[in-house]
Amino acid sequence: MVAASNALKPMRISRLTLLLALAFLLISFTAPAQDSVRAVRRAKSTTAPAMPTNVEPIDTAGLKDLISKPKDKPLLVNFWATFCDPCRDEFPDLVKVDKDFRPKSIAFVTVSLDDMTDIKTTVPQFLAQMKATMPAYLLNVSDPEPAINAVDPKWQGELPATFLYNAKGEIVFKAFGRVNTDALREAIERLAKN
Amino acid sequence: MKKRTVSIVLAALFVITAAVIAGSGRSNEVPAPPAIGTTVDEFTLPDVNGQEHTLKSLKGKNGIVLIFIAVQCPVSNAYNDRMEKLAEDYKDKGIAVIGINANSSEDAATVKAHAAEKHLTFTILKDAGNKVADKLGAARTPEAYFLDANNKLLYHGRIDNSQNPDAIESSDLRNALESALAGKPIEKPEAKSFGCSIKRA
Repeated sequence: MVAASNALKPMRISRLTLLLALAFLLISFTAPAQDSVRAVRRAKSTTAPAMPTNVEPIDTAGLKDLISKPKDKPLLVNFWATFCDPCRDEFPDLVKVDKDFRPKSIAFVTVSLDDMTDIKTTVPQFLAQMKATMPAYLLNVSDPEPAINAVDPKWQGELPATFLYNAKGEIVFKAFGRVNTDALREAIERLAKN
Repeated sequence: MKKRTVSIVLAALFVITAAVIAGSGRSNEVPAPPAIGTTVDEFTLPDVNGQEHTLKSLKGKNGIVLIFIAVQCPVSNAYNDRMEKLAEDYKDKGIAVIGINANSSEDAATVKAHAAEKHLTFTILKDAGNKVADKLGAARTPEAYFLDANNKLLYHGRIDNSQNPDAIESSDLRNALESALAGKPIEKPEAKSFGCSIKRA
């Protein structure tokens, strides 16, 4: 056993050297590429106007009004919270959807389920970080059930949840849990064609 | 004859394609929960140590509360103390309180470590294939089901109205348990709240 492990030692060292060399090569090749990507991102972010993210409180009546009032175009609503991992994970995709379709094809609002005490802190901070410019609300209710049922009686309240309403106010697409962005884009494009 | 076979095959393909397209739109929808009053079938699930339990073996003489919980969900974690207290308070009243973790992202060892860290002493079952979560139409954490001694579903929904213990106005689950113990009908057998979606396998 001892002899065998000794015999293996030189080979381990040479493998380690080889790995280190490879890692060094990889880092030296990829690092400049990443820097240039960052530089492009920096350039983009400085040209875009810094939008202050204002989050408005909304109650159940306000939410009902928002989704049921007559619309001139489809409405996309995303329910999310800063404490919800899949909500944060899907947010960059939703910001892309927003950039691609609003205001031409859809209206888009987000409704946060964070606590009212977060309305000036963590919620706008996250939205600013995401460069999210769609109108942002925070549900301010003591009992969440009427709000959940007003949106969709089949919804149990799991987050995130995304609903697309046509101009008539009917739900034409919904997703509970992380949204399939391709399916959402298809649904928006289908509405735009009609 | 051949033409007919071809047209049947084409028709079948069309139907299958249509079904796939129609189905894809609601791929992440959870099965509907059983209606209040429905009798829930017996099931067997392992706890975090791998030991199998039947619903029957866990149930108290006055019923059982099953709560879908999570390791990572801050809403579920906000209820840790309240769930532990509930289990403590109803043990002597013949109602067992059991946790079920159905998140595919959280394995038995993770659930066990989390329970130890948060001082959760009630039994926690691991529903690795969402078998029971699907049967009960559980969508989020925390989400509670109260079954009587005959497995009849008496209450389904939230523990109370707010994850913030200072803002509780309606202790819906406790109210349901108290009504059942007093032999009274449950005034509010269903109540919703926000929670984290269960990550299904």
